[in-house]
Amino acid sequence: MSVVKRMTPDRQRALNLLKERLDGRLRSHLNSCVRCGLCGESCHYYLTKADPRYLPGYKVDQIAGVFRRYYTLIGRLFPRWVGARDFDEETIEEMVDVIYGACTMCGRCSLHCSIGVDIVYLIRTARSMLAEIDLVPPGLQSTVDAAVETGNNMAIPREELVDTLQWIEEDLQLDLEDENASIPLDRKGARVLYTLNPREPKFFPLSISAAGKIFHVAGEDWNISTHVYDVTNYAYYSGCETTAAELTRRLYDEAVKLEAEVLLLSECGHGFRSIRWEGPQWINRPYPFEVRSVIEQIADYIRSGRIRLDPALNQQPVTLHDPCNLVREGGVFESQRFVLNNSVQNFIEMTPNREDSYCCGGGGGQLSMSRYRERRIEAGKLKADQIRETGAKIVATPCHNCIDQIMELNLVYKLGIQVKTVAELAADALVRTEKS
Amino acid sequence: MRTYHLVLLTGFGIFSLISLFYLIRVVKEGRRSDPSQPEGRVLPAVVYALTASMSPLRKETAYLHVPTYTAGLLFHVGTFLGFGWLAIHLFQLRIGPFLTTGSAFLLMVSAVCGLSILIKRIVTPEMRILSNPDDYASNLLVTGFQALSALTLLRSDLIPVLFIYGGVLFLYIPASKLRHTIYFFTSRIHLGIFYGRRGIWPPGARR
Repeated sequence: MSVVKRMTPDRQRALNLLKERLDGRLRSHLNSCVRCGLCGESCHYYLTKADPRYLPGYKVDQIAGVFRRYYTLIGRLFPRWVGARDFDEETIEEMVDVIYGACTMCGRCSLHCSIGVDIVYLIRTARSMLAEIDLVPPGLQSTVDAAVETGNNMAIPREELVDTLQWIEEDLQLDLEDENASIPLDRKGARVLYTLNPREPKFFPLSISAAGKIFHVAGEDWNISTHVYDVTNYAYYSGCETTAAELTRRLYDEAVKLEAEVLLLSECGHGFRSIRWEGPQWINRPYPFEVRSVIEQIADYIRSGRIRLDPALNQQPVTLHDPCNLVREGGVFESQRFVLNNSVQNFIEMTPNREDSYCCGGGGGQLSMSRYRERRIEAGKLKADQIRETGAKIVATPCHNCIDQIMELNLVYKLGIQVKTVAELAADALVRTEKS
Repeated sequence: MRTYHLVLLTGFGIFSLISLFYLIRVVKEGRRSDPSQPEGRVLPAVVYALTASMSPLRKETAYLHVPTYTAGLLFHVGTFLGFGWLAIHLFQLRIGPFLTTGSAFLLMVSAVCGLSILIKRIVTPEMRILSNPDDYASNLLVTGFQALSALTLLRSDLIPVLFIYGGVLFLYIPASKLRHTIYFFTSRIHLGIFYGRRGIWPPGARR
């Protein structure tokens, strides 16, 4: 028999958080894992390096073991017998390493778990506990802090954003040979409020340009807010729900202020998941506007004939990487395929794809946690091999985190590919008609 | 009523009460309200979560591990068959020799499956790291129950031993990993709700 040790106040806060979150869903998942070990093949970390610490079941046990120790009778009385563990320094150190450093929260293991444990949900809860005691890895925390303090995760000053968008607008006018082509800013009453990943104005202006081109040809009534535009929400990854709610509330307020009917999200996996699905739970209210991914919108433009595309304008073989948070965890499966099938001549599916797609390794906030870079690149080898097998020259993916990771994989594993957003390929295939 | 009847019934009674408590608590605690606009329907997804999603055609942990999956499936069938025979013995129902012999065979097969899963846990280094004493004990207890159930069908003088064993097993279930008897269903229902709202399950409903 073992006595539960006294907790330091900060650790007690983390345990209290676990208790506060303990609803029927969390309790079910915490009690279900039978440690069958079959989940290994679902995890890109385990598949690339057969370290048992990378088994999803092992990661689950980090939080489930703590739960058993403090919130079950048998775990309090006979901790060793049931694998209950004290929430001590050793446990916390291991939790940080495997919960932050060896998981992208891609959800592949949850989908295939032999029992049905929502492993991502448990990882998120574990991250919340660690965030409660300020143990978020510094790179990830500074990304969150930048978003909170400056309004975007890359700390881009507003003037710089406006300059960039104006430059893109001029470029768009030249490209379309139409002086009416524009990037409307801060316009109240526009039907669509379009968000950006700060990486776009900073490093990938072409993807903003592509979206602008499509909106213009489709005759969309749209605009971008220069005050609140960041589609990302890294607090989802850090586990701090208070901050996640704050960032969601800002977007919500801006969309309401600008009277938008549609909050249109640029190509960002976790941004889609955070805003579309988690956001209403964080701020505990429904949205009075619709939330969509831009690729769903482009697919609608094609279906309704608002834009016409010519696949012959994209001749090179293209493959698609499914971002986990948009597809497996977000439910957008076919829109990106529909757009690509209309935009490129030779579209090759990766195997496996859709909900079975392997994570590229860039999710979970991994790109901002430099201490785990080596692991991230190693885990990405699975995706690199998948890409190579398709023989494609272009990888399309509707997510900027995935783009960054695949670009890095391209360099490390010498894939010889280009990486593009889906909107970029659609914009390249746009056919101007008299009407447009 | 003999002592061994009492042991079995007491074990079963305590198991039922605790299980009911677990179930009521999970239902009562519910889940966090989700004001997001749903994209799909929850009920078909929950049905899918409890049925086709677990088939070897869909579930990677099944189709990549067919021997383990099959052994696991038979192991669980054997457990429920064993419980069924406990009831048959308790109520002294008459069952024909064909079903009795068939059950004994199936119970022996399922016990062998349980043993094979236990051996896999013992000899695979990854599994050893993942396992705690309860994992071994739970398996051993259930495997033993199945083997004893099979023997009882061949030698009825072992029924008192089976009743006592069954009573102990019932007592152990809520305290150990065997409580997944209850939480397995609630987990899959919650997973179905999650994927159903987002239009991910069932696969036919996707956008």
